[in-house]
Amino acid sequence: MSEATESIRQSPGAAAGWYEFATKHRAGIAALAILIFPLVMPFTALAVNILIYGLYALGFNLVFGYLGLLSFGHAALLGTGAYLCGIAIVHFAWPWYAAIAAGVFGGLLIALLIGVIAIRTRGIYFAMVTMALSQCVYYLFYQAVDWTGGENGLRGINIRTIDLFGLQIDFLEPIVRYYVIAAFVIAAFFVMSRILASPFGAVIEAVRENEMRARASGYDVILTRLLTFVLSGGFCGLAGALQALHLSIVPIEILHYETSGLVVMIALLGGMGTFFGPMIGAAVFLVLENLVSVWTVHWQLIVGAIFIACVLFFPAGIWGTLIARGRR
Amino acid sequence: MTKKVTEGGAVSRRRLLTTASAGAVLAASPFRINLLQAEEATIKIGFPVPLTGPYGAEAQDQVRAGQLAVAQFNDAGGLNGRKAELVVRDDKLNPGEAATRTLELVEKEKVNFVVGSLSAAVQLAINNVTKERGIIFNSISQSDAINEAADFSKYTFHEALNPHMTSGAVGRYAFPKFGKKVAFLTADYAYGHEMVRGFLEVGKEFNIENLGDIRHPLGTTDFSILLPRLQALKPDILCISNFGRDQQIVLKQATDFGVKKSIQIIAPLLSHASRVAAGAQAFDGVVGGCSFYWGIEDKFASTKAFNDAFRKMYDGKLPTDYGALGYGGVRTVLEAVKIAGTVETDKVITALEALKYDYYKGPQYYRKCDHQSVQSVLVIKSKSKDMKNESDVFEVLSTEEPSEKNLRSCEALGHKS
Repeated sequence: MSEATESIRQSPGAAAGWYEFATKHRAGIAALAILIFPLVMPFTALAVNILIYGLYALGFNLVFGYLGLLSFGHAALLGTGAYLCGIAIVHFAWPWYAAIAAGVFGGLLIALLIGVIAIRTRGIYFAMVTMALSQCVYYLFYQAVDWTGGENGLRGINIRTIDLFGLQIDFLEPIVRYYVIAAFVIAAFFVMSRILASPFGAVIEAVRENEMRARASGYDVILTRLLTFVLSGGFCGLAGALQALHLSIVPIEILHYETSGLVVMIALLGGMGTFFGPMIGAAVFLVLENLVSVWTVHWQLIVGAIFIACVLFFPAGIWGTLIARGRR
Repeated sequence: MTKKVTEGGAVSRRRLLTTASAGAVLAASPFRINLLQAEEATIKIGFPVPLTGPYGAEAQDQVRAGQLAVAQFNDAGGLNGRKAELVVRDDKLNPGEAATRTLELVEKEKVNFVVGSLSAAVQLAINNVTKERGIIFNSISQSDAINEAADFSKYTFHEALNPHMTSGAVGRYAFPKFGKKVAFLTADYAYGHEMVRGFLEVGKEFNIENLGDIRHPLGTTDFSILLPRLQALKPDILCISNFGRDQQIVLKQATDFGVKKSIQIIAPLLSHASRVAAGAQAFDGVVGGCSFYWGIEDKFASTKAFNDAFRKMYDGKLPTDYGALGYGGVRTVLEAVKIAGTVETDKVITALEALKYDYYKGPQYYRKCDHQSVQSVLVIKSKSKDMKNESDVFEVLSTEEPSEKNLRSCEALGHKS
């Protein structure tokens, strides 16, 4: 289960001490890991992708792991963020920071729109409604060819240099691009950690664990859900905006339901409802896919077999299982 | 504040440490790959193509032919002894993956050039990455958008045909011959739309009558509802603009429904690989276009030489249409390197622009304004009898000779003249 609940548990002994320390400083530790991360990756563009998908899964995990609702429409939140960021640069020539803000806003807005309609449903119905609505978003962007490029995707999101307090930073330099994007991801980590540690974070988990009891305690369950979903949209929108800047294109595939399925996979692989799980899931998933596909065209067969092994041996996800074992 | 405390991770109690060590081995593997550094002096050509997915067969043929061009370059001594190397990556037919892979090729592999792609959206994604970084990209897949000023850059070359040229050639052949009443069945995505636009444009010259355009989603498995509606329109020509598996299924069903008895079916592009996969009967009598067919070896010495070299390298196999594009795309770049005597980008661009070449299908050259390869378009018909070998699947009906007047004009594309 999540560190947030675990942290209040009285666990005496030195063995559990490191765990409490890690939970308290989880965002800082994540930041450190991110800073040294590109050194161990096969190539920088992959490391950036892992950051972005990790952030996407982090946002998804807020709804899936902490609130306990399975959404099959998160591609809409990621994709809207990416498209709004891209459109801001391509059609309005906004500066990069304003475009990122537009992406975050896009994620929040679309999450609010989808959330208002979907949030009253539960379980499989919630999954179906979010998926249906995200398909609507897909066709909306697909048809708006003049704005989005339709089938061909949105091209021309070209940021060459970033002007930071009079300092010209070369955004085309891979390692620079990594650390600029990492700065946003680390900031998102701190925000997420703060949300989870706040009283509101406790309410989110209370709703997941026992909805009736949360309501009886005087919390507005529907509003909590909606707010959580909208916050999740903000994180996913940021991930989308960063991806648009990183790849300099927004493909229509970003809104496809496969992108929604991918994040479920990443969250499960890493460990749902854990703080580091989504990032680890994204890393394992993307690294495997990239390495094996260079080696053989039958990469899907091998990656599939490894996933089966993961499900068999790490039932709570890779990170979830490691935590459970480490604390014992 | 009430918090519910739950017992976590009980399921994993009995797991052994060995599984953790298996995970550690996996996690460690990137280090090993990182150490595999290629030799410094080789000329590297990045080659992102969709090795997996619906166009996998075509993509693997592209790789084979690209390897042949590299082998020939190296056997001839390379660039003063400097050898070339093809760095192949699977773009999974996904523009996002293609952009990531191209970043890898440019930033980590430090490729000198990029050749490849097999989808309109994918080539535009690759092009956006390469043109920002000043790397020459020679696209070997069809797209109209890549010629337009918004996407073009001086680093962008297009060895493949584009939908405008393909549909134009097929239309000019078919409309005077088979009739003026035309119905369309179109895959509802960029490729289909661009093809229909091309057919309607060329149709104006022949005053064709557009009876209707029925669109189907990509990946349709049953056309039995659409075909009777098209038959009821009583067209002279049914123009089917789709590709790959869609094309195989619709032609099979059209044959079963007896559409071919009264209606001539035409397609902008007939793929060699699809024809082989679907069989002779389904494609029998269908007329379409293509950029290359091995059978023109009687006409061009370059085709004969290419076929023979390909046969020799791959146990008697013959190259397909998309395979030939892989060869042409890589060879033009390498020849330009030879002429320029260097891999410096600007000098290679100048050499490519000046190139008048005939490497596999007769004379070609890159038009100055949009770097589109001006080349012939073959109009072919699928045959079902008198086949000399398993690759003998088409009959060349006519050849549209290379001419800039069959291309959209530079002004129409938004280029300043």
